[in-house]
Amino acid sequence: MIRNCRFKLALLVGVCVGAAGLAGAQAIYTPPPARNFEGVWLIQGDHSAIRTIAGKLPPLTSAAAARYAAAVRARKAGKPDFDTIQTCKPHGFPRILFAAYPIEILQEPTQVTFIHEIHHMPRMVYLDMTLPKLDEMDPNWMGLSAGHWDGDTLAVESQGFNDLTTLDAAGLPHSTQMQISERLRKLDADTLEDVITVTDPKTYTKPWSTRVTYRRQPGLRLKEYVCTDANPEAKAQTP
Amino acid sequence: MRKLLRWFTLGIGTLVTAAGLAAPSDVVDGPLIRAPVSSSDARDLSGVWFIRLYNPQINSTLGRLPPFTERGKAAWDARVKAEKDGSPIADASSYCWPHGVPRVMNSPYPLQIIQTAGETVIVHEVAHNVRHIYMDQSHPQNPAASFMGDSVGHWEGDTLVVDTIGLNDRTWIDEIGVIHGKQLHVIERIRKIEGGQALENLIRIEDREYFTEPWYARITYAWRPDLRIAEYICEENNRNMPVSGHTAEK
Repeated sequence: MIRNCRFKLALLVGVCVGAAGLAGAQAIYTPPPARNFEGVWLIQGDHSAIRTIAGKLPPLTSAAAARYAAAVRARKAGKPDFDTIQTCKPHGFPRILFAAYPIEILQEPTQVTFIHEIHHMPRMVYLDMTLPKLDEMDPNWMGLSAGHWDGDTLAVESQGFNDLTTLDAAGLPHSTQMQISERLRKLDADTLEDVITVTDPKTYTKPWSTRVTYRRQPGLRLKEYVCTDANPEAKAQTP
Repeated sequence: MRKLLRWFTLGIGTLVTAAGLAAPSDVVDGPLIRAPVSSSDARDLSGVWFIRLYNPQINSTLGRLPPFTERGKAAWDARVKAEKDGSPIADASSYCWPHGVPRVMNSPYPLQIIQTAGETVIVHEVAHNVRHIYMDQSHPQNPAASFMGDSVGHWEGDTLVVDTIGLNDRTWIDEIGVIHGKQLHVIERIRKIEGGQALENLIRIEDREYFTEPWYARITYAWRPDLRIAEYICEENNRNMPVSGHTAEK
């Protein structure tokens, strides 16, 4: 209640100030069980070359198909120069969702925060924000994410990406016009599902979706991952 | 200030008046995202904070360099000499490594505190450093040395006490380059002051190898209801710089 109040403006002022005045101990927000994604999660399965939910290659335009083929060839030849993580630059979004490293989720009434162990990269999903228009955004690696609860599903829209990253390790391309929709929900207490829809008319002939699940990792803490250091963990895997 | 007044006319002024508070302490030059003052719950530190009066030399309560041991003095002198000679020693932040504790708390970039059951997390804009502070837990026995160390926290009244050990010796205490070793032990006492408009961090720094006795630094941070943490990618020479905490293009 108190924490909720902090973010509601003018309308609730009287109520909030009143309630806050009576507060004693710290009120830690606990989401209702079905919406409680808090904890550390690890992706299930290998998503180094993502496919649609039907298991098909995404509907690439012909130009994008050529770029993809070149990336696959470069990877096979051992020279994946397209791959930003070779130089410790970010995976970008959504590729970071597919990394085989733990993700910690933290929840507040107006924000869901994902802390990725890999590159200790945070992603904030703001529940109190409307995304700016795409052409008014300064593109970056992780974009900007705004979400809302649709029943017990967290629906997230993200945009504002640069085009330096790929969607997966294999090299599926995207443009700065890409928009990502996600629907995250718990399948059971220990399984989180994310259905990710990619809309990018410059690269794909139509929107397409892929699906991943994450398994809860009780007691696991995120380790320190430092790409630019001689990091044994980083060297062990290139997700 | 003019912008702040403009936002007041949009109705936020009502809230400030109702809460019985004057204008926020530091520069506020963007539309408010959160309430103009942080929650009245003294233990609710959640939200975005921004250092006041950033000083590359951490604000030691001594007002001067810390009391070096011989080894500490030699390390400091060597670093200063290297810089003078034109071949400065690069510190952790130059390699895009995590900044370490306490240095990350003395950074001219915003930080966001997130509190959940069992953990307090600090997301720093600078080089996307993340601190995990596990609440009401003990340190593991002999934690492996890391840049950010092992941090545990507990409440003493309305003060969050954070104890950090397990730090490696590849970071500096602050930007001016006070060196420390692996014995560094940092205890922070963090509490809200000024009716929730600011946060105080009283930092106790102990490292018997480098300092003859524990010393203290004090940093305050302003409540910044107008800020969200921006993307900062050290590995591409962070192309955006903050102006009053807001990201602006270089």
